[in-house]
Amino acid sequence: MGLDIPVFQAYRGTSVPRFASLAELECAKVLDYYGVPWLYEPRTFVLEEDEDGRVIVAFTPDFYLPEQDLYVELTVMKQSLVTRKNRKLRKLRERYPEVRIKLFYKRDLERLAQHFRLDLAS
Amino acid sequence: MRELGAEIARDYEDREPLLVGSLKASLVFISDLSRATPILHGLDFVELAGYGSAQMGGHEQIRVLKDLDADIRDRDVIVVEDVVDTGLTLNYLVRTFELREPRSVAAVTLLDRPYRRLVADLPVRYVGFVVPDELFVGYGFDLHERWRNLPDLHVLLEI
Repeated sequence: MGLDIPVFQAYRGTSVPRFASLAELECAKVLDYYGVPWLYEPRTFVLEEDEDGRVIVAFTPDFYLPEQDLYVELTVMKQSLVTRKNRKLRKLRERYPEVRIKLFYKRDLERLAQHFRLDLAS
Repeated sequence: MRELGAEIARDYEDREPLLVGSLKASLVFISDLSRATPILHGLDFVELAGYGSAQMGGHEQIRVLKDLDADIRDRDVIVVEDVVDTGLTLNYLVRTFELREPRSVAAVTLLDRPYRRLVADLPVRYVGFVVPDELFVGYGFDLHERWRNLPDLHVLLEI
């Protein structure tokens, strides 16, 4: 999609991030605004494999904050409607207990973007 | 409030800490906290611009609208926050203050949502209430600059 990607200050990746949505771009801007180093989709986690070892379910969290050693998955859905994402997060935590991951909700983004009227689909 | 003030007074006796309110929402809280803290202490304020650059089509770094008046070198600084959730704002303030070589930096918050934290290792030493993920107005908390003046905290059910 044709998102206008600014020059980020706290981005720690090497290639220009290709965001899947405007909300992801805004989340990146917020992290950058507060000077928190971040990476975009740096790792994909295998959640399920078949008997032959082929990947059935995988999950790529949206952001990684290296200073916090924390993965962040952005969701613009209402908190009551994030069951599927929560299920993935639960699976990830079961299979990779050493990995720290959090959901970043639309409400979090709105709180940080108090004066910004972001049109986030719900 | 009395409990928070007493805790701070006990921990900082004879150290004359500087309470730093993060404007605007902490204004009411810091006023009450200061009066409930029975030791010598200073007051100062800082205000950061809310994130809003994208509306103007640009991208910017955080802006300090009002910096500290006091020199905090070798002082004990206590940041007074209305609420800590992601911790991004407090993290920025702490990192900024630490560059000025204070003796210590701690934080007190009226409300805390530790389950929303994106930034770990924040010096949140004093917490009024751990609260659910609701919006609050009153007691300094606003929605679009309204209802800060309500004397008590109210949960906002619908926007």
